[in-house]
Amino acid sequence: MTLGLDLDYLERSARGEFDLGWLRDTGSEWGVRAVPSKTGLTLRDIAIGSYGEVPDHAPLRTMAPRGSDVEPGVPDMGYTINDRAEVWADNVLDLYEEAVSRQWSATRDIPWADLAPLDPDVEHAMCQLATVLSEVEMVAADFPAKWLWRINHDFVEAKMFLCTQVMDEARHTEVFRKRALANGGGLGKATAVVERFLQLILDAESYDEGSALMHLLGEGIVLSLFRAGAALAPSPVEQKIFRLCMQDEARHVAYGTMHLRYRLASDPSVAEDFHAYLDQGEEIISMIFATPEIVEPTAILAAGGLEQACELGTAAGDVLRHQIIGDYLKRCAHAGLDRRGRLHLPDALIDGVPGARVEAAV
Amino acid sequence: MGAIEAPFPSSAWFVELVARATADPAELEHLGIADLRFGVEVLLPGGAEEFFGLVLDGFDINVVGPTTAESFGSDVVVSGPLAAWQDMVDWIEEHGPADSAHSLNGLTIAGIPLVARSDDAMGSDKFYRFMGTIQAVFDAAGAPAPAAARA
Repeated sequence: MTLGLDLDYLERSARGEFDLGWLRDTGSEWGVRAVPSKTGLTLRDIAIGSYGEVPDHAPLRTMAPRGSDVEPGVPDMGYTINDRAEVWADNVLDLYEEAVSRQWSATRDIPWADLAPLDPDVEHAMCQLATVLSEVEMVAADFPAKWLWRINHDFVEAKMFLCTQVMDEARHTEVFRKRALANGGGLGKATAVVERFLQLILDAESYDEGSALMHLLGEGIVLSLFRAGAALAPSPVEQKIFRLCMQDEARHVAYGTMHLRYRLASDPSVAEDFHAYLDQGEEIISMIFATPEIVEPTAILAAGGLEQACELGTAAGDVLRHQIIGDYLKRCAHAGLDRRGRLHLPDALIDGVPGARVEAAV
Repeated sequence: MGAIEAPFPSSAWFVELVARATADPAELEHLGIADLRFGVEVLLPGGAEEFFGLVLDGFDINVVGPTTAESFGSDVVVSGPLAAWQDMVDWIEEHGPADSAHSLNGLTIAGIPLVARSDDAMGSDKFYRFMGTIQAVFDAAGAPAPAAARA
């Protein structure tokens, strides 16, 4: 391979004879002046002129910045996601800014020194939940990372948002691993059923499939778990961990919801594909609802110990189940995908959940 | 720490709350930018209700109200009886930042005693996205008044 080194230019430039063609004859837009908004110079502030025009189909497969003057002969990077609808969401610029602004540190921002000894059963429950969360969170980094290099650079804002997700999930994995090891408990059990769901996401044949399973279904469930964790936290340490993770996770879910909405608006014919992805995902998710390593720690935390876990834990489980399924159906509806009456969850799970079934006309 | 003198709920109470919450800009900036129209609906004994709005916009926080849910246009509204709101405020004034049981998240998760409602999924997800900031605003009820903080 030759890079076509221009020896003549080396000699000319050494004599001070610059070319300067790039200074005068560029095809990109000159004269734009992005104005910072009150929080700084945001992606939305620089989405101006031709630079703000995101093509529905990327004309090239290069890393050249969108809007730049691309030289002929640039190599083909082999991107496979070249249609905007495959990865875009209307809120992605704002979500990126939000993500960057709301980063936190699992080392510094959690008051680890305030951890106090807990009842051994409560500590064990917290450690088991931390084990599961440390396990599942990393797939939400692995999946975007697997697809990032396939996404055309013209959709760079979406790529940048997914990069923030990778960092968020690394931090979630970190904080729950730290929590498991910080108070005398340690890691608990990793289960096959959880691993099967993670494998389904990681092995997804398309970004569509994986995003629906992960951003919408999986992260929606984890978001509810974070919310429950913050409400049931045995100390301010866990309350802060779960609250900070909840905020991050809700951003990812907001992207997934709005991405699906954009995707379906662009091509309604793919709705059945998404139904099929979610049919499969929900079947595995239903098994998670019957996994002791997930259900029982939550029950013990809700009860504050083993003694009343059956009674109070069941009530807390019902609240969590209603929230998970209710929020999931609302997100699907907002995206334009009506899952009511089509949920692949057993009746025992959807009984009593408002809107889970299509009510028969009276 | 000094409870807010104005009665809850009132415009003066929310204005003082926001003054306390924004007294240290560095703390708000550490939490990050926010974008949330948060409705507070207080159901009074006898059936009347009071409605106030908090607008989180970047690092700014503004109070709207008293107003109505319809005219404010909330992303999310947290609604409940005065006694539940007052209990939350009293606890924060006495103890400082809300514990799990007295936090907005803890009080709304089961829909009792407070309920969080939104028109669509994006509204409820915004409640979750900016939970730390909106909780910090209410936790400021237990913070010193800005003048006292400067003294």
